[in-house]
Amino acid sequence: MPTELPYAADAEVSLSYDELEVLRLQYQRELSQSHVTTQTKFNYAWGLVKSPIREHQVEGVRLLQEIYRAEPTRRRECLYYLALGYYKFGNYEEARRFNSLLMDKEPSNMQAQSLASLIDQRVTREGYIGMALAGGVAAIGTILLASLIRRAARK
Amino acid sequence: MSGDKDKGPVNVKLLLIGNSSVGKSSLLLRFSDEQWLPEDESSATIGVDFRVHKMEVKGRRVKLSIWDTAGQERFRTITSSYYRGAQGIILVYDVANRESFDALPRWYSELETYVSKSVVKIIVGNKVDKEFSRQVTYAEGQRFAERMNSLFIEASAKTSTGVQEAFQQVVERILDTPELWAPAMKKGVGLNSTDGGSMPGSINLSETEGNANEGGGCSC
Ligand SMILES: Nc1nc2c(ncn2[C@@H]2O[C@H](COP(=O)(O)OP(=O)(O)OP(=O)(O)O)[C@@H](O)[C@H]2O)c(=O)[nH]1
Ligand SMILES: [Mg+2]
Repeated sequence: MPTELPYAADAEVSLSYDELEVLRLQYQRELSQSHVTTQTKFNYAWGLVKSPIREHQVEGVRLLQEIYRAEPTRRRECLYYLALGYYKFGNYEEARRFNSLLMDKEPSNMQAQSLASLIDQRVTREGYIGMALAGGVAAIGTILLASLIRRAARK
Repeated sequence: MSGDKDKGPVNVKLLLIGNSSVGKSSLLLRFSDEQWLPEDESSATIGVDFRVHKMEVKGRRVKLSIWDTAGQERFRTITSSYYRGAQGIILVYDVANRESFDALPRWYSELETYVSKSVVKIIVGNKVDKEFSRQVTYAEGQRFAERMNSLFIEASAKTSTGVQEAFQQVVERILDTPELWAPAMKKGVGLNSTDGGSMPGSINLSETEGNANEGGGCSC
């Protein structure tokens, strides 16, 4: 019985408040001593990217980008979690870009392959929803515009 | 046991741990997909990988979620968060790499911080196909496993020796320990792997932080 691909465990499971708090405090402590180790920063960024809260994900991606630029030896895990972060908040173009950078280096990396098909699935699904929404938005837009014009006309 | 099949599947969470490059991901790939990647094509796991696999054991349907953690030192702090809710732990070493066997006590002490005593453990001595460069004997592995109250098997992800058996044995032992999965349990360990809070003792990520720093001491 084969496995039901694809999966990206870190995309679905987030940390508890306390767990994230441990990572945040460690990061804050080192920040205040003005020496943040890459490991601490990466751990915190990882916790943030896993979070269901959008602001967390954005902050996590920002930190990962800093590590990516500063630490060539940490690039492969940064690429993966950058892709995952962008995927989670719905920027599929960036998600794909970072994930393909990883796949260029490691063509048979199964985690990257799995994430690639997750991204594709989501793009397809939201493509349909997007079109439906766009239709809906257009309709609402017309009504709004009409009411604005009416209001303006009354003045 | 004939009626058991109508009861719906038992959900079991397994965790693979052990030093980097001992073959955790290869064992999982062999078990779940009956596949083997050439040595130079496999890549070290980033954080954690995950698979679902269904099997039938002792006439019961079992839905396995298997968490394959990264062995590299740099991921130590973060991988400890995946212990939550695991009913079975597969500790892997490489029979041709003494260091990976000597590291087992460290893995046990980490494990004891995060999971309850009743969790089923199995030690897997992987890469037995490399018999010519073996550094750890079968007897040694077995003795250690006995001392740690764990099951023991030698295997090879490459030739698939012992792989199916390893997973089968853990699952059988878990099914023999209803407190790990039966709905009417008192202390809600496991069952629902995404349900937090049911940990024996709360997660303390900071405990491993000291040695998780820098270096990325990968033996590969
Ligand atoms: N000869 C032999 N090589 C193996 C076997 N299992 C794995 N390997 C090789 O050992 C190397 C590491 O295997 P992985 O499965 O990536 O190791 P891992 O434990 O998942 O490593 P991390 O993800 O870094 O923790 C790869 O080159 C595999 O091809 C085996 O049974 N026999
Ligand atoms: Mg691996």
